[in-house]
Amino acid sequence: MISVVALFLMVFFLIRESLPAWKESGVANVFTSEWNPDRGRYGILIFLVGTLSVSVGALFIGTPLAIATAVYLHAYAGPSWKRVIGRGIEVLAGIPSIILGWLGFTTLVPLFRRVAGGTGMGILPSSVVLAVMIIPTVASIARDSLDAVPDTYAEASLSMGATRWQTLRRVVIPAAWPGIAMAVILGLGRALGETMAVAMVIGPATAFPRDLLTPTHTLTTKIMMEMGESTGVHRSSLFAMALILLFLSMLLIWLVRWLSNRATRDMSKGSYFC
Amino acid sequence: MATSDEGLLGARGGLRVARTAEERRDGDPSPVPDKKMELVGLSLSYGEKKILDDINMAVPDRSITAVIGPSGCGKSSLLRCLNRMNELVDGARVEGKVYLDGEDVYAPDYDVVSLRRKVGMVFQKPNPFPKSVYENVAYGPRLYGVKDRKLLDRIVEESLRRAALWDEVKDKLDSSALSLSGGQQQRLCIARVLAVQPEVILLDEPCSALDPISTQRIEDLLQELKESYTIVIVTHNMQQAARVSDYTAFITVEEQGGPGRLMEFGETREVFTNPKEKKTEDYITGRFG
Amino acid sequence: MCKRQSVISREKTTSDDGLPVGEDRWRAVLEEKSARAVARARRADRVAGFTFKVAAAACLVVLAFIVGMILARGLGTAVKPSFLLGKPRVMGEGGGIGPMVFSSLYLTLVTTLILTPLGVGAGLYLAEYSRGKRLVGLLRWASESLSSISSVVFGIFGMVFFVIYLRLGYSILAGALTLALMNLPTVMRVTEEAVRAVPASYREASLSLGASRWETTKRVVFPAALPGIITGVILTMGRVMGESAALVYTVGVIVRKPPFSPLQPGAPMAAHIWYLYTEGGIVPDWMRIASGEAAALLVLVLLMNLFARVIASKIRKKMGIIG
Repeated sequence: MISVVALFLMVFFLIRESLPAWKESGVANVFTSEWNPDRGRYGILIFLVGTLSVSVGALFIGTPLAIATAVYLHAYAGPSWKRVIGRGIEVLAGIPSIILGWLGFTTLVPLFRRVAGGTGMGILPSSVVLAVMIIPTVASIARDSLDAVPDTYAEASLSMGATRWQTLRRVVIPAAWPGIAMAVILGLGRALGETMAVAMVIGPATAFPRDLLTPTHTLTTKIMMEMGESTGVHRSSLFAMALILLFLSMLLIWLVRWLSNRATRDMSKGSYFC
Repeated sequence: MATSDEGLLGARGGLRVARTAEERRDGDPSPVPDKKMELVGLSLSYGEKKILDDINMAVPDRSITAVIGPSGCGKSSLLRCLNRMNELVDGARVEGKVYLDGEDVYAPDYDVVSLRRKVGMVFQKPNPFPKSVYENVAYGPRLYGVKDRKLLDRIVEESLRRAALWDEVKDKLDSSALSLSGGQQQRLCIARVLAVQPEVILLDEPCSALDPISTQRIEDLLQELKESYTIVIVTHNMQQAARVSDYTAFITVEEQGGPGRLMEFGETREVFTNPKEKKTEDYITGRFG
Repeated sequence: MCKRQSVISREKTTSDDGLPVGEDRWRAVLEEKSARAVARARRADRVAGFTFKVAAAACLVVLAFIVGMILARGLGTAVKPSFLLGKPRVMGEGGGIGPMVFSSLYLTLVTTLILTPLGVGAGLYLAEYSRGKRLVGLLRWASESLSSISSVVFGIFGMVFFVIYLRLGYSILAGALTLALMNLPTVMRVTEEAVRAVPASYREASLSLGASRWETTKRVVFPAALPGIITGVILTMGRVMGESAALVYTVGVIVRKPPFSPLQPGAPMAAHIWYLYTEGGIVPDWMRIASGEAAALLVLVLLMNLFARVIASKIRKKMGIIG
């Protein structure tokens, strides 16, 4: 019950606090690219682009690794490796984001700086740090959905002489795909909302990134950095950004629910009546 | 390799069946005419636990061999030894030999893929893939590199016909296999195995999840299939074993938790009407198990 | 019986499909094609297996790198009592993080005290009592949504609601309430899963003996689910300890004295690292302090993880002996 109330309270307060921004600059102006509190411009497009690009970058790096790990745990690993890697992923999931951010700041950023010059901050290091953060989420959910595929499918395939990989590719992974898609979406959700780890390696700068290694901002980092020293419409614009983030993640949850309903429907369609 | 006529004769008439102890002592462990498969001193253990101990029996060509026994005696595990499906279990260890057409399938250089193509398996619970009817049957041929659509069409149709399912599904080849009834699903699984042209078909309690009418259809189907294939069926249903099989192997455990041993093997009629072992008699008359 | 088979074969002989007649019509085709297909499949299988193994190993390597690097850079600083327990300096080198450690532990404690009864109660309700489908759907939807929301959004919500609207000010309590809200879905889910994992036979046995619904829940279901719940709560405590984004604007980032009252502002370690990063220049050795603090925090979080597991297996063992 509390969670329902809390959710509504959150939406209510975020709307209330962000109302001046919507009113002042108009909905259309919120989605422009000029952010200049001194001149009363509060376009958030830069941050939206920043958020989306670091998240997509993280998916790009993290998802293949995570799904491959899930497949390894599901189909290839012996019991002891299963335990070791499974535990490892749990531990990885528990590492605070501030620590990952700090590590990114003290190792990745200098590395990129040395290799590519410039500040070494921007989308690339952010994506790498985020990839590490979403791997546990994606890997464990993908693994659960692979494990949920009845063993009998794999058995039937193997008994016909299929290799493990043929069995996975033709039977098990197709059967598990709604779950795997769900894992990726939840990973995306985690990436969209992550703040600290990104904030320490993204720059920051209020400008569109020219390449993968120029400082920029995301919705979360902008909120984090400026909430403390903002007033009036400026502050309210930050709340508007939070509101957009909230709706983004609720949209993803809605997608996940749709997928999981689909998955259960597919399964129940084939219920065995004997 | 014997022709099917000889096999049938042997099975039906029992003319060439060695059923006396003297004949068995002659070194041939199995009273059968034409051995498609043969198990010699086969033992199976999972880790420390021994599941099967020293099984010696033969699987006669083009006939139905039933494996019966109380639950937990290892009869399903025995079946899985025949196409090396036990290898998928961690810690499974097989000792002894299993011959297919005189070749030891556990020899290090024996190709497990071709073994599984020759020795197909149908499982206890119907387990069609969550794909269309067509794709289920085409699965095996595709694995073996058949891409030609026309050839696949023919293979699918003929396999379904042989599995006595064609007439029921010919209009819904593209619908999900999971939308079929349980009995149809099981026949689809048989069609899926037939599509790779096996020589031996292993069935692990194929009717235990089916209603009597579906069971009847599967049993009829088996009678047809044994003209062309060697069939081994594990069943806990003694009536079924008596109805469908030509040979029967009775496996049981001698002490609680001990390994399964082959108690008796012979022509089904003999085993059921004139069992040599007291234990067999007790089991088939329902006094234990 | 065998008529049917031959009828089919005869039908097929007339077709010009180029396949032989009889039962093994396409066996030759399969045998011919399979050699190459199987070889290719084998190769693909080996490549795939190797790739997956490398990916899994990479995850372990990444973990080892993270833990190794953080500890290598910070542990030397972190193990000194003067650092762990000392007070931070306004300026100059050699400051400690005593108040931050205290804030972290205190905040975790207060959060757990608020969170556990709420989360466990809600989880129990969802698992045992919920019948009305619509209400449950709404609850689930709300908690799923809550669990997906960014922690910085929680942070600023906590700021406007707890800090400003409820006039708690920057304080341990405001932070704890925010974190409790944030982790409520996790604890609910863990509880629900643990309760659902209790075999139905336990429940039926108790009910059949005439115990009421509530008594059954209290005496049978809850104790059986307890190991799972406790593990979940401790893991959540680990997460609470490492949280930063939600706390910067609810608890605070720097204090000089330990906040003994929950209404005082605090500075949890994670938030303090953020402070050092943003305002770093103030003390010259901020990098050293942040590294040490990161190492100390990591050790605490890992200990929590380990503790959760040990407790779980201990309880399970104990229950096994009793049951």
